[in-house]
Amino acid sequence: MSGLPLDPSAGGGRFPGFDVMAQSKHWDEVTTSVVVSRLGMPPDIRFFRGTEEATASALCDQLLDQKNPPRVPVVNMVDARLADEQTDGWHYDGMAPDGQSWRDSLAALDEDAMVHSGCPFAEAPWDAQSAILQAVLDLGSKPWHGTPAARIWSLWTRYACTAFYSHPWAWDEIGFPGPAYPRGYKNLGVNEPGGKNNRLEPFEVADARPAQDPLRKGNS
Amino acid sequence: MNSVRDRNESAWLLPAGPGINHRLRADMRHFDDEEEVDVVIVGCGAGGSTMAQRLARAGWSVVAMDAGPFWDPETDWVSDEAGSHHLYWTEPRVIGGADPVPLGSNNSGRGVGGSMVHYAGYAPRFHPSDFRIHSADGVGTDWPIEYTDLKPYYTEIEEELPVSGQDWPWGDPHSYSYSPNPVSGNGDMFLRGALACGITAKVGPVAIANGRFGNRPHCIYRGFCLQGCKVNAKASPLITHIPDALAHGAEVRADSMVTRIEVDERTGKATGVHYNRRGSQRFQRARMVVVAGYSIETPRLLLNSASARFPDGLCNDFDLVGRYLMVQGAPQTAGRFDAEVRMYKAPPPEVSTEEFYETDPTKPYKRGFSIQTVSPLPITWAEHVAAQGHWGAGLRQYMSDYVHWSCLGALCEFLPLPENRVILSSEKDRHGLPVAQFNYSQCDNDKALMRAAQSVMEDILHGAGADEVITIDRYAHLVGGARMGADEHSGVVDGDCRSFAVPNLYITDGSVLPTEGSANPALTIMAVAARAADRLTAGGSGSPADRIPVPVRRGATG
Repeated sequence: MSGLPLDPSAGGGRFPGFDVMAQSKHWDEVTTSVVVSRLGMPPDIRFFRGTEEATASALCDQLLDQKNPPRVPVVNMVDARLADEQTDGWHYDGMAPDGQSWRDSLAALDEDAMVHSGCPFAEAPWDAQSAILQAVLDLGSKPWHGTPAARIWSLWTRYACTAFYSHPWAWDEIGFPGPAYPRGYKNLGVNEPGGKNNRLEPFEVADARPAQDPLRKGNS
Repeated sequence: MNSVRDRNESAWLLPAGPGINHRLRADMRHFDDEEEVDVVIVGCGAGGSTMAQRLARAGWSVVAMDAGPFWDPETDWVSDEAGSHHLYWTEPRVIGGADPVPLGSNNSGRGVGGSMVHYAGYAPRFHPSDFRIHSADGVGTDWPIEYTDLKPYYTEIEEELPVSGQDWPWGDPHSYSYSPNPVSGNGDMFLRGALACGITAKVGPVAIANGRFGNRPHCIYRGFCLQGCKVNAKASPLITHIPDALAHGAEVRADSMVTRIEVDERTGKATGVHYNRRGSQRFQRARMVVVAGYSIETPRLLLNSASARFPDGLCNDFDLVGRYLMVQGAPQTAGRFDAEVRMYKAPPPEVSTEEFYETDPTKPYKRGFSIQTVSPLPITWAEHVAAQGHWGAGLRQYMSDYVHWSCLGALCEFLPLPENRVILSSEKDRHGLPVAQFNYSQCDNDKALMRAAQSVMEDILHGAGADEVITIDRYAHLVGGARMGADEHSGVVDGDCRSFAVPNLYITDGSVLPTEGSANPALTIMAVAARAADRLTAGGSGSPADRIPVPVRRGATG
């Protein structure tokens, strides 16, 4: 089960006892070193300057709902990519490359927070931060501080989700076993509800609450 | 020659099991920059590697350059999504237009093997209709060659990859040399839904043998096809064509970024390429230059090779270089089941339908789309979920439901439009060269296909029992940008991939395709390259110097 604090009503604890790292002895060495490095001490902040780090941390906590520790160190992982210029290369015509766009958008978030809460974004209450971000998302393709809001939103979520869902704790939370080389999978096929036609590998764990469809109202 | 091994021994030159043939690489022939080789090839992806193998086999001296590394899958690739970022071309580029297309991840590769290193592995043929869409439907353009011209090469390449699949009923019906792979939860859901909707769906065509092939092992169904196949089960030129090219004396010169093609102003012929290797500017002399840098870098290289004779870019006398670049509309629709689908198990490429490929006269749009299984891993899936506007707690909850989702992807045939193109940006890369700016705007037909494909995918998933469906709009596969045409007013190269402007300059990559169909392009790119090589070497092997063929011209199609 994931070490990340997530309430059962919010999707936590669906794969009791599932532990991705318990299988790491079956992975190839190169992959193991890449994955294990994410569990060690988070990389030092090198890219974000001054208050950018605080703003970026608050933003990443919001985007992945990491209100309480332990957390996946999303901000450190995003920072490391930006410091290394590990981008996808492209940027929109008329918009700065990723690093500068992160800086610009963090400053813009602080501006919004000053108007909204009278303090920098990182110091605003959790719910106020959420409201500020939802307002950015709701703008869609309309401009936010001079750039289409959707492009900024996509920049933030791409980096933050890549960091969070590369972490074994997040895999524990969603039932994904991570690396699969050289072992592979031998039981392919649909696992019907109620344990019929069990196609799980011995190390996979069935969802304890398969009817917890996020959109099905009244689920538990 | 009937036996695959007789014409391409690559799969037998690899070690039994995963890994590379270290001896073959250590013994690789090296040519001197000063030596005028028969051909220098720019780019070792689908088109370039096929050319290298074919021409080396014919006895030509070949130097095949690639800007990226000469991969060793055992040490360079990982069974991990975020750790595979280095498989993509991530040098700077600018995107613009009304519907900008993000680059760098799913649609461009780097290193020997090109983007086939991280493609899913689908290897469908184009349909005969693809070569005549202007005549038949009044859209796009006709090719200067026909399906029948490519057909023998489709068959050859299908055997060399090799391709697995059921008997294929669409386009020109054909069979595959390997039976289909078993399907996983995601493929099963597609088949169930298609059956419920009365839609024919088939397993394949996938460039993963269902069995061993030469020394290449059986697939282990680990699901990381898009991160580079460490197993050597999924075909890419790194293992399907490069080993045989090396065994026949070709040199693969990796980490070599070609920056300019040199053309002799007096003779009008290409004399070689300037390239940057590990910080040194060098020049490789060659009797022939073959460009295979794909749809962004090929036009960029031509535009960056402007000269007094070609002030607007090499081969760009008629302002065609960089134009008519296409992507396929590739919306992905996912469905939620109480059953556990666990789509991360088994290769993402499993099942497809081409039932909607052709123009349906009852519809308001021309041409069509195909539908295939895609099976995003968690990071890509998170992008899918985030695109619905979920974030924070909502995103985490959605993601905790990952094992219950099945995901299909469409490939919608976007039409070739002149303003969808590569131009040079004012921004420079680390070599000081202008980077590519890629502009894209969809036409109404493109948009109509996106919605039609989404609707069919929703029907299939509902038919399989999904209680909820969500869709993300995305784009895949670049083709065009230096297209083939009947004459120099309609294309940069002719049907044999020879440029109209420079007689010893060829382009053999996806950029020469005049239209894209609804098929993943890799097989067609390889078939076009294999045909071009065959035309070049027809009449025996030996030096090509005095044997530049007279181009065969077909009826003009505008």
